[in-house]
Amino acid sequence: MPEVKKWAMDVRMSFEKTGMAKFISHLDTVRLITRSMKRACVPIWFTEGFNPHAFLTFAMPLSLGFESYCETVDFRLMEEMDLDELAKKINDALPVDITVKEIYVYETSPNDIRWAEYKIIFNNPDKVLLETAKNKLSSDEIIVEKKAKQGRKKVAKEVNIKDHIKSFELSEDNGKLILDTVLSSGTSININPMLLIGALVKNTNTDEQDVDVIKIESYTQNMEVFK
Amino acid sequence: MVKKEVEKLLKKVQKPARYTGGELNSVIKDKNSVKLRYAFCFPDNYEIGMSHLGMKILYSVVNEREDAWCERVFAPWDDMETLMRENNVKLYALESGDSLDEFDLIGFSLQYELSYTNVLNMLDLGGVPVLKKDRTSLTPIVIAGGPCVCNPEPMVDFIDIFLPGEGEEVTNDIVDLLIKHKEMGSTRLEFLREAAKIQGVYVPEFYNVDYNEDGTIKSVENFETAPEKVQKRIVSDLDNAHYPKDFIVPFIDVVQDRTVGEVFRGCTRGCRFCQACFITRPIREKSPEVINEQCRRISDATGYDEISLCSLSTSDYTKIEQLIPMLFDWALKENINVSLPSLRVDNFSDELMEELKKVRRSGLTFAPEAGTQRLRDAINKNVTEEEVLRTALKAFDGGWTSVKLYFMMGLPTETMEDIEGIADLAQKVVDTFYRNPNKEKGKGVQVNISVASFVPKPFTPFQWEPQDKGELLVEKQKHLLSSVKSRKISVSYHQSETSVLEGVFARGDRRLGEVIYKAWQKGCKFDAWDEFFDYSKWAEAFRECNLTTDFYTSRRREYTEILPWEIMDYGIRKEFLIDENKKAHESITTPQCRIKCSACGANKLNGGHCDARS
Repeated sequence: MPEVKKWAMDVRMSFEKTGMAKFISHLDTVRLITRSMKRACVPIWFTEGFNPHAFLTFAMPLSLGFESYCETVDFRLMEEMDLDELAKKINDALPVDITVKEIYVYETSPNDIRWAEYKIIFNNPDKVLLETAKNKLSSDEIIVEKKAKQGRKKVAKEVNIKDHIKSFELSEDNGKLILDTVLSSGTSININPMLLIGALVKNTNTDEQDVDVIKIESYTQNMEVFK
Repeated sequence: MVKKEVEKLLKKVQKPARYTGGELNSVIKDKNSVKLRYAFCFPDNYEIGMSHLGMKILYSVVNEREDAWCERVFAPWDDMETLMRENNVKLYALESGDSLDEFDLIGFSLQYELSYTNVLNMLDLGGVPVLKKDRTSLTPIVIAGGPCVCNPEPMVDFIDIFLPGEGEEVTNDIVDLLIKHKEMGSTRLEFLREAAKIQGVYVPEFYNVDYNEDGTIKSVENFETAPEKVQKRIVSDLDNAHYPKDFIVPFIDVVQDRTVGEVFRGCTRGCRFCQACFITRPIREKSPEVINEQCRRISDATGYDEISLCSLSTSDYTKIEQLIPMLFDWALKENINVSLPSLRVDNFSDELMEELKKVRRSGLTFAPEAGTQRLRDAINKNVTEEEVLRTALKAFDGGWTSVKLYFMMGLPTETMEDIEGIADLAQKVVDTFYRNPNKEKGKGVQVNISVASFVPKPFTPFQWEPQDKGELLVEKQKHLLSSVKSRKISVSYHQSETSVLEGVFARGDRRLGEVIYKAWQKGCKFDAWDEFFDYSKWAEAFRECNLTTDFYTSRRREYTEILPWEIMDYGIRKEFLIDENKKAHESITTPQCRIKCSACGANKLNGGHCDARS
């Protein structure tokens, strides 16, 4: 039986999650966006199983505590609509700190994401951190401890993430140390910036929790902006 | 707005969104343009507090006024508290981020006795002196409401004003009065004198309590402007009572995260163990049109995909058969689920059953409360075994396969035979399932027995009864476990020490303030949470104050004894409660209010009117 398409448009919404919204976890964000759609009376497509639910696809889950300028969620509209107006309507239904950038018809799949750019701000760095970080980032090996599963057992595995760092740039600003870096991202390999942060602050007197992480952009294999 | 120094802490705690504020529909005002700032405090964590309907109503009542701003404060979890204390961050309100000591009015909702130490802890964390006597300026004034206020005596050392009954109207009275006295530059005493004149306002420092040598109360004397008895406040017309236009939508998953439609207040059943029934009378219903409209508006404003109806014994709502189709008419189209809690077994009509089949079904819950007919008669739970089994059969026909049965243990007149009756009844429910020819093929049944320990409460016919001691409850629990023979039946129960404490505070007197204060100093908090509850600290506190828990829990009180909560007038006549107590001991039932009025007296609060008699 040929599949009949029951919806009118496949669209992607890009949005920013900044400020206090960084403390909203991924699962809570999913629920929040679903409710905002409902409040804005957006005619989205629901799954048709026993428990119908709003069909939403988020590209990559964002870690709790990170801000982001480049989140996306894909959904299906039951009717043709003016997407700029829709963006405005959804924005009005969202809490502050989560802002819709654009809604558009997309051609890429979240699976195309290969890299992500982060701005990492060490608010209270040890004096030696700039030097140490520079050395570590320039060496051939950057060993981090990654939690992994071996069967049912949870083990810590040492991994070299050097090849997963596409680029990096260190700078200082008012006593803060800023690291702009592009790391592997996507469904197959994903490097959480916290791993790199942990490796960099190791053996220095820097609180790894006093660090701000902002996701700037996602890229495809060829370093084209994911859209 | 969370301040910068707090934001740093949030990176180190679990569920940081508990502490950020900024949720949709939270109310932000300019603090310089209001005359009064009110901190509504819920003495438990964010997830519990944000689930509470009363808080939503009162938040909305105060924020509807232009001259006042109501904000929310919850008890921080242990990890956050530790960081706050280490970094000298005071407990703050989620809307402004301002600390508790910057507020004019601080209100606590006392929903359960085991949250009392959290009240002290929150005041302390917020920079407010914990003891009433150490607060000498006009503001902050600390007030408290909620069901526990029907016996506020154990908390009088910490709270300036108690508001028994429903808060919608009296909150505004207090806010008006405090604004006036702030403008006049009054003293604290001047304000309290005027407050005590308002109906439904209890100012405990205007009462002296004397004790006999045996620890019972000798006399209670009121002075200043205080009335001899404080009559609780009610809202007369629920259709026109304030109800929120929206709910705050939490970021994190909270216990009750849905649209709530309140359908009525009070209860007609008169189960003798149930305090909620007697302290919320008289019965007042809301019309289905109003409920439907309120649910619609809140669902639109929140984006919630679930509606639940709220009241005691919801299926007793006389217009439920009109309301349900009204709600379903729009809710199902919008993929909104409608769930009905606390259904009673004895009025589950076929039509209601059919409607319920349309929505996602959760487990089915019955509350027979006691295992034998004799004991059910004694507690006036007018449900027969035959009714339970008939309804279970109907539910199994409807496709349900999981049943939860609620019971209580330690009820007055209870024997081991009654405990065995619990297991027997559960077994009969299992047998009913397997005898049902219409049961779905290949499916088994699961019957979960949940047993709570009975705690006698003020303003119930059992207010004079002794509470079972811990050892006896443990024995009964063991007996129940050994009486269950089927693997289809599971049993869960609570530890008995928390019930002892609950029982002490439920019927306690003013002398307990010292115990609560000492226990808090020893580190007691979140006593309702197993991971925090530490009975040994409480036991020490009692010893140091020369008080015993037995005095409050294990003693049979005489009808003539002056009870600490008799300063309060909840409309229920003492003679009625005595009659009911005597009938319990003879296993004589009392018909529910709609069949025959038993003259409990609560209608005097509503100008002689009660919806059960209309």
